[in-house]
Amino acid sequence: MSTAVENGGTADLTSRKTASLINETADSSLPAAAATGPKEPPPEKPADTRRRTWVIFSFWAIVLALGLPIWWKTTSIYRAELPLSEMLDWADGKACRPAFPLRIALDASPLQEHEAQNLLRLTQHALDDLNDFSGHHLRLQLAANADPTKTAKTGSDVALTIRITPGDSIHSASSSLHPHLPILDVAYPPNSIPTQTSSSSGLATYLAAQLRSTFAEEQNVISYLLETSSIPSEHRPKGISPEVAETLSKQMTRSMKYSRTYHLTFSLFTNGPEPSSWDIESAIDEYMRPMLDMLSPIHNFTIDTQVQLYATPGVQSQVLSKEDLSSFINAAEWPLSPSIGGAPTVNFVVYIGNQTIGAVSESEAADISRSWLIPQWGSVYLLLPPSGPHVSSETLKQTVLTFTSHLLSLLGTPQSGSLPMRLSTLNRMRSADLLLRASSSLGSLARLSLALPSISIPSSVADGVAKSMQHLQMACSTLGGSDSLEHARIAEAEAERAFFEKSMVGQLYFPDEHKVAVYLPLLGPVGVPLVMGLLNELKAWRKRRRQKDGPA
Amino acid sequence: MQLFSSLVIPICLLAAQILASDYHEQLVLKPLPQSALLASFNFRSNTSLAQFENHNFRYFPRSLGQILQYAGTRELHLRFSLGRWDAASWGARPWDGTKEGGTGVELWAWLEAETDEEADHKWLTLTNALSGLFCASLNFIDGTRTIRPVMSFRPEGDHLNITMANMHLLHGVLPREVVCTENLTPFLKLLPCKGKAGISSLLDGHKLFDASWQSMAIDIRPVCPAGEECILEIQQTIDMVLDIERSKRPRGNPIPRPVPGHELKCNSSKPYHDEHTCYPIGFVAGQEWSLQQIFGKSMHGTCPLTDPNIAPVCIQAPHSRDVFTSAGVKELKDPNFPQRCYIIPENEDFQIVLPSMQHVGENAKSDTDEYLEPDTPLLYAERSFTGHGQERGGVQTILTNPSPDQEVEFVYMESLPWFMRIYLHTLQARVLSGESGHLRKDEDVVEEIYYRPFLDRQRGTQLELRMRIPPQSTVFLTYDFEKTILRYTEYPPDANRGFDVAAAVITILHADQTKSTRAFSNLRTSGLLLNLPTPDFSMPYNVIIFTSTAIALAFGGLYNILVRRFVGQDEGPEVTLMVLRRKIVAVLSKVAGKLKRANRKEKAEGKTE
Repeated sequence: MSTAVENGGTADLTSRKTASLINETADSSLPAAAATGPKEPPPEKPADTRRRTWVIFSFWAIVLALGLPIWWKTTSIYRAELPLSEMLDWADGKACRPAFPLRIALDASPLQEHEAQNLLRLTQHALDDLNDFSGHHLRLQLAANADPTKTAKTGSDVALTIRITPGDSIHSASSSLHPHLPILDVAYPPNSIPTQTSSSSGLATYLAAQLRSTFAEEQNVISYLLETSSIPSEHRPKGISPEVAETLSKQMTRSMKYSRTYHLTFSLFTNGPEPSSWDIESAIDEYMRPMLDMLSPIHNFTIDTQVQLYATPGVQSQVLSKEDLSSFINAAEWPLSPSIGGAPTVNFVVYIGNQTIGAVSESEAADISRSWLIPQWGSVYLLLPPSGPHVSSETLKQTVLTFTSHLLSLLGTPQSGSLPMRLSTLNRMRSADLLLRASSSLGSLARLSLALPSISIPSSVADGVAKSMQHLQMACSTLGGSDSLEHARIAEAEAERAFFEKSMVGQLYFPDEHKVAVYLPLLGPVGVPLVMGLLNELKAWRKRRRQKDGPA
Repeated sequence: MQLFSSLVIPICLLAAQILASDYHEQLVLKPLPQSALLASFNFRSNTSLAQFENHNFRYFPRSLGQILQYAGTRELHLRFSLGRWDAASWGARPWDGTKEGGTGVELWAWLEAETDEEADHKWLTLTNALSGLFCASLNFIDGTRTIRPVMSFRPEGDHLNITMANMHLLHGVLPREVVCTENLTPFLKLLPCKGKAGISSLLDGHKLFDASWQSMAIDIRPVCPAGEECILEIQQTIDMVLDIERSKRPRGNPIPRPVPGHELKCNSSKPYHDEHTCYPIGFVAGQEWSLQQIFGKSMHGTCPLTDPNIAPVCIQAPHSRDVFTSAGVKELKDPNFPQRCYIIPENEDFQIVLPSMQHVGENAKSDTDEYLEPDTPLLYAERSFTGHGQERGGVQTILTNPSPDQEVEFVYMESLPWFMRIYLHTLQARVLSGESGHLRKDEDVVEEIYYRPFLDRQRGTQLELRMRIPPQSTVFLTYDFEKTILRYTEYPPDANRGFDVAAAVITILHADQTKSTRAFSNLRTSGLLLNLPTPDFSMPYNVIIFTSTAIALAFGGLYNILVRRFVGQDEGPEVTLMVLRRKIVAVLSKVAGKLKRANRKEKAEGKTE
């Protein structure tokens, strides 16, 4: 009876006719069994058993060899190979240690060759003693060219030239930054030139301190960037003081995201029908263009202007308090839509109305309380209504100058130093910033692809990652140089493009309920007989082996 | 031709003014028969091309200007329309129909590009940018809805011959787009006076989109006057036909309520008319309205940017019509043409009142005193679906030339979706002549055919026919098409509503070709609603379950026959169900036995007692 259970399973398919036939044969062959209990079916031919095994085996072979691969092929998600560990290395700062070796030329033409060498050595010593941040160090060298103005123009690798001249004062040295060139003029007292043997010198210490203070802001900014980045603490430089960090974080949140090109939009809003025209073009050419030309190695600018009449500000009160300033721009009604073309827009709004800003404190100057800066967006200037329907270029002078200074601060230019120094610092700051941003984007992408195994990764993402890492490598090796900004920019753009690839999110969510609804109707009725057949066959096979083993 | 001169004269007069002033606006009110009023708003500003290329925007809107520059657009026409112009009672269309579009959104533009691919790319940029600017789904104008008309449109601006060679005309329609307030707000933002002063202060979404018919148009074209600097001109036009009774409903109580019985105006000539039954007369009294009533607000002064000598508001009505205005307004009567214009003092509210006119009594006025007789349009057109079933469809367009002595020549253009598979060989034009009165097949009516067949899921059909209709004749233009079964994901939400088919554009070519080639007039048929065979959208799951069941049945049977062994009923193992049944029977018989025994005992005890 037990064999019947294994082979036949439930015998509900039995036809009456065959049953009676079998009954007769069974009755004749096994009369004793019929008398004692349920009848045993006749023993199965071994050929039948073997055939059944083959049937089950071939069904399973088709399922495993054909069904599964097809299913796998049609439902798998394409995931391009990403260099995950390298990407995480970049994010953790292991792949690149940002270091800015700044070369400073010492133009000591009034001195003898050996005196100059000596001064150089001592100053370098003093500098190394002062410096505590390895990522940003200053290296002195003697100016090769006799004419420092030429060096400053042609030699792009030299961050600053120190030009020392004998001064009038006997006791103390004095220094001043050249307003248009990266040159520090130092006037030294005649007696302060160090001798060959002396191990320290007043002039050298003075020079070192001057250099240190000149580059202090840049150092702070770079260490701040490293600190706020995702790089773990052991790779970070020594921390900066909390007060400095706070002012820096204010500066950083104010500045716009880096872009090669910015659209500048100058808008004149008036609360009534007048004035309806302005000489903004000539005002920009006169007061802002020189600054834009100086910025041209770092940024390009496009300029457009518009006039909008009957503009109601978001705040109606006559005197604007500090809280009102943030809601002054009437975003719903004023057409300040960003320019098309991908680059960010900086808005400069001139509002002509009779509103004034209430002075926060008595000490504030009158012209400051005419304008304010809106972080990462632009700046607003309140202009008093002119007499006629036309605003002259002269009236706009103060406005455009204010906008120029606001533009510099929106671009993240450091506050101190002469303009060329500030711009070259800006270049280095932006490179470091972009480098860190690109690294952290790569890290996020790597973590995302690890966290979501069902997300598809098209090959364009892999391409973007490869390109980004290549440019990161180049940017890292040339940090402080002129090319690094361009490389860092490309790396950042590629990393962002890879991270925000549209086709990745398309199939992010594919609910399990849906899968059940699709698979169950087929797999239920087909899978159950298959699995049961296999189990029964296995059980029968074990039984047969035991029977074989038992008698033996 | 009265219509034509009536429109051309003011346009010519204004043309002289275009160059003098940078900004111009005018509202023309024209009472139409019955209780309708046509209000045409026109705003025009311009900028010199040099200023435009330097990105200095004054009256020309910056947001639109930047889009034009970025997408290399030389000329742009954008239309938002709603409703249907009732040509039978309202007559010819305003602006000769050149400032209106088919229902929904229509856009055509001339783009400067070296190749077709570049033009397509710029077109994509343009539609996407405009979509953001006007809060409309213009970004859905893709390859399947874009055509390049060959005969229908001509540039309206002055273009250099060199640029003309590289200009590509692209045309796209979104018939399904519902035009609403969110499209009006950006439209008003483009105006220098922003809807705060002048005639634009009358515009209000509630009234505009409640109109029987309305069309908002933006036309941008370069204009190069002889010997002067070229300018770029933007014209914004809003035309609407207001139902006066409807717009006079108070704002706070806009739900229409039944008129009380005693106020009902009944047609007493009906035989069943008595105090309990009434056949209402739709329109008996003359028009009576004021600006305040129909627009919901009065006009706030004038826009100070306009030339103060040009009247901002005009009304086209017979001079015998009584019109009252607020004080201080100067009236200019045109002696040759029934039009009055009003010069409004700055910063003062302007009001215009048309009182009701006596139709009976001593000084009775007739309809001719109340409004101008509508001009007969050059052509009437209506289009409808024919065909039957879920597969066979047909389109019939009826074009009527009402003129007694002039034939009319025009281009009929259709831009059909790809899922309407049209059979061009079934295209037929039959003419019903006024004098002969019988229908005949006439191949001469269609003079030229331009046909660009559809490609599945890539582009739609473009059909342009140049036709000439003899006077007093009607042409029945018919063709058949086959309805396609779409893919599951290609059906839009609410697929059972049907698919909108864009209006056909009819460009009437004036017989008098000595005039400038721009002297076109346009006409659009109404849109159509095509019903495609729509599946049940739970279909995929049904299909899965159905096929799975079939496979499972076949597989289960086959597999069981192959794998199982058949034995006698008494030889096999006991079926679970049988075991269960035997157990239940055993338990039941046990309980029954107990009960019997208990009964017997009770009886025995009772006997002993």
